[in-house]
Amino acid sequence: MGKFWAVVKREYFKVVWTKVFLISTLLAPMGMILLSFLPIIFFSIKGDAVRLAIVDDNGKIFQRLQENLSPEKQLEKLKQSAEDPLKNLDASREEQLKKTAGQFGSTFVLEQIKLNNRSVEQIQTELNQRIANENLDAYLIIPPNYDAKDSQFEFFARNSSDMFSQTALQNAVNDAIRFERLSKINISEEKLKEVNQKVNFSSKAVDKTGIVKEGNNYGFEVAFGLAFLLYIMITIYGSAVMGAVIEEKETKIAEILFSSTSPFSLMMGKLVGVCLAGLTQVGIWIFSLLGLLAYFAAAGGVNGMNFPLPEISIGFVIYFFIFFLVGFFLFSTIFALIGSMVTTTQEGSQFLMIVVMILMVGMYSVIPIVRDPNSTFSTLISLVPFVSPISMPARIFIETPPFWQILLSLILNILAICGFVWAAARVYRIGMLMYGKRATIPEVLRWIRTN
Amino acid sequence: MNNQQVTLQVEQVTKRYGEFTAVDNISFEVKAGRVFGFLGPNGAGKTTTIRMIVGITAPDEGNIHLFGEKISPSLQDKIGYLPEERGLYKKMKVLEQLRYFAALKNVSQKEADKRIDFWLDRMKLGEWKLKKAADLSKGMSQKIQFIAAVLHDPELVILDEPFSGLDPVNVETLLEAIAELKSKGKTIIFSTHLMETAERLCDDIILINKSRKVLGGKLREVKESFGKNLIALRCLDGEKVLQENDLIENITEHADGLEIALKIDADAQILLKRLLESGAKISKFEKIEPSLNDIFIEQVKENNG
Repeated sequence: MGKFWAVVKREYFKVVWTKVFLISTLLAPMGMILLSFLPIIFFSIKGDAVRLAIVDDNGKIFQRLQENLSPEKQLEKLKQSAEDPLKNLDASREEQLKKTAGQFGSTFVLEQIKLNNRSVEQIQTELNQRIANENLDAYLIIPPNYDAKDSQFEFFARNSSDMFSQTALQNAVNDAIRFERLSKINISEEKLKEVNQKVNFSSKAVDKTGIVKEGNNYGFEVAFGLAFLLYIMITIYGSAVMGAVIEEKETKIAEILFSSTSPFSLMMGKLVGVCLAGLTQVGIWIFSLLGLLAYFAAAGGVNGMNFPLPEISIGFVIYFFIFFLVGFFLFSTIFALIGSMVTTTQEGSQFLMIVVMILMVGMYSVIPIVRDPNSTFSTLISLVPFVSPISMPARIFIETPPFWQILLSLILNILAICGFVWAAARVYRIGMLMYGKRATIPEVLRWIRTN
Repeated sequence: MNNQQVTLQVEQVTKRYGEFTAVDNISFEVKAGRVFGFLGPNGAGKTTTIRMIVGITAPDEGNIHLFGEKISPSLQDKIGYLPEERGLYKKMKVLEQLRYFAALKNVSQKEADKRIDFWLDRMKLGEWKLKKAADLSKGMSQKIQFIAAVLHDPELVILDEPFSGLDPVNVETLLEAIAELKSKGKTIIFSTHLMETAERLCDDIILINKSRKVLGGKLREVKESFGKNLIALRCLDGEKVLQENDLIENITEHADGLEIALKIDADAQILLKRLLESGAKISKFEKIEPSLNDIFIEQVKENNG
C-alpha cells in the first residue's frame, strides 16, 4: 500500500503543484465567461449602414419600411427577443444565427426611387451602375402588385451573403406587406397591436411533493454548463493521463518502476492521483461558485434586488461530484489503455478523437434532456455508460429521476470501469515494455487474453 | 567455496512469447558476494531472463529462487535493477526523482534523503540535486539511474549494460562504486556483450546465445578449459630446440616474437626446460590464454553455424 500511495502522491502533486494548475484554476472560469459572451460581442460588431434603394412608385411600402427599419423599431425587437423565455432549442444552427441577427439588427439608409415614367429595366441598369461605383449597396424592387399572393420582390446586393441584413430586411418587408393587406380590409394598426399583444407567461415548477416553486429558468444553461465542464475536464485530464503513460514508455522508465512495484498498482496510483487532482480543481471552482451565488443571494436580499439565481441543492452537488468522479475515472482508464498501446503522443491523439466523440454525444444529449427529462430517450441516454456521467447529472438537475435509475446508471458505469481497468492493466503491463512500435488491435486483444 | 551461500538460483527456466522461445531451459546460480557476468550477444535472452528475476514477468516453466525463497513481489525490495532501457522523468528534479524511486522500494524519506546526499556526493553530482533531469547530460542521468538502483541498499544488484554510452572517466567512477558494493558483500549480476569489461569485473560467468546456455562457471576455469596450448616466446639462440617437432605443431612469427602452437597433449614445461638447457636466453615465455572475447566469438559462431 505504501508504494501505491507513493505513486498517488507523485501523480497528484505533479499536476497540482505546478504554475499551470494555479493559473488554469484561476483563469479558466474567466475564460469560460468570456467565451460565453464572445458570440454576443462578435455579432454586435456591425458593418457600416447599408445604403439601400427601394424602387417603389407610390411610396406606401417605402414609408412602412422606413418605419420598420428605424433604429427605434429594431431596438424594440431586440428587447422583445431578449425577453423570450428559454431559447428555441430545436432551432437549427442557421435559424439561430438568423435569430441573433434579428436581435442585433443592421442599420439601413433608405432611399426611395420613383419610376417617373422610366421602365424598371432602365432603373435597374442605373442602380447596377451605382452599385458598381459603390454609391449604393443594395436595392429592392417592390412590384406594383405587391399585396397579391404571387408577387415577386427582387433584391439585388453587392454582398448577397450578408444574411443578417437580408433577414432584417425580409422581416421588415413582410411586416409592411402584412399591414398593407390588413389596412385594405380595414383593420387599423392599433387594433392589430392590441390583437397581437402577448400574454404574460410565468413558468413555475411543481415538485414531487406537489409544492409550487419559482421556475428554474436557468435549467438549460446550468445543465449544459456542467456538461461542458465535465467534457472539458475529462478531455484535458484524460489526455494528461495518456501523456504521462506515454512519457513513462518513451523515457523507458517503466522497466525501473515495474521492478519496484506491480504494474497494476502503478496504473491505479496514476489514475487515482490524477482523478484527485481533477477533483481538487473542480472542487475549487464549484465551491467558489456556490459561495459567490450565496453572496449574491444575500446581497440581492439586502438591496431588494430580485436577481433570479439558479437553485443548486446540496444533493445535486453530491451527485455531480459522484458522477464527475465516475466519468473521470472511466475515461482516464481508457486514456491509460490507449497510452500503453501507442508509442508517441501523435499516435495517441488519433484515438483521442474517438473518445472525444463519445463525450460530445453526452454533452449534446443534454438538449433533449432539458426538453423532456423523462422521455424514453432521456432515460436511456442517462443510463448508458460513457455517456451517462455527463447526461445523468444534467437530468438530475432538470428533474431528479427515480433513485433506482441513478443507482443503475452508477452501477453500469462502475461495471464499465471494472472492465476497462482489468483490460487496461493487462495492456499496460505488456505494452509499457514494448518499445518502438505501436501495438495492433489483435495484439492488444491477445495481451488482454493472456495471463 | 562450495558451501558459499547462493543468492540466486535459476532452475530450468523457459519463457515463450507466442511462437518465439526467448529463454530456453536455462539454469544457473549466483553465489553471494560475487560478481556474476551474464554474457551473450544482443537478443540472446539476457534481458528476458533478468526481467523474470526482478519479477517483471513470470517464467512459463522452471523456478527462480532468491535468497532461498521463491520469487515474489516482496523480494523486489531486495533487488536493485538498472535496466538497459532506462530513463528518468524529464521534468522532475533529481532529488524528487530519487525520493520517488526510494519510496517505491519502501525506503522512508528521511533515510532516503541521507542516502541520496551520500550517493550524489559519491558520484560527484551534488550540485545537480535540485536540477531537472532534462538538464542532465547522458552520463549524468546514467549515474543518477545507478543511484536509483542502489539507493535502497539491495542485497542483489543487477546492472544491464551499465557502461554503454559512458565516457572513460564515468566508467571509472562506476567501476569504483561497483567494487565498493562488492566489498560490502553485495551480489552483483552484470549483463553485457562487452567482453573486456566482463573479464575485468566478473568472478563467474554464464554465456547464453539464441535463448540457450552455452557455457558457464568460474571465469578462471572457463578460460583454462579453452586454453589452446599456445605459447608466446621471445628468445635468443633457441632455434635448435624449436626444430624438434615432437612437441611443436606449428610456429608463427610475430613482430615481437614467436607464437608456438604445442601439440594437444604436449607439456609446456618440457619445452621451457629444453630451452633453458640449450642455453637460450629467454625474455618472454607465456602461456597464451584465450580472451573471453575469443571464447565468446568462437562459441557464438559455432552455435550459430
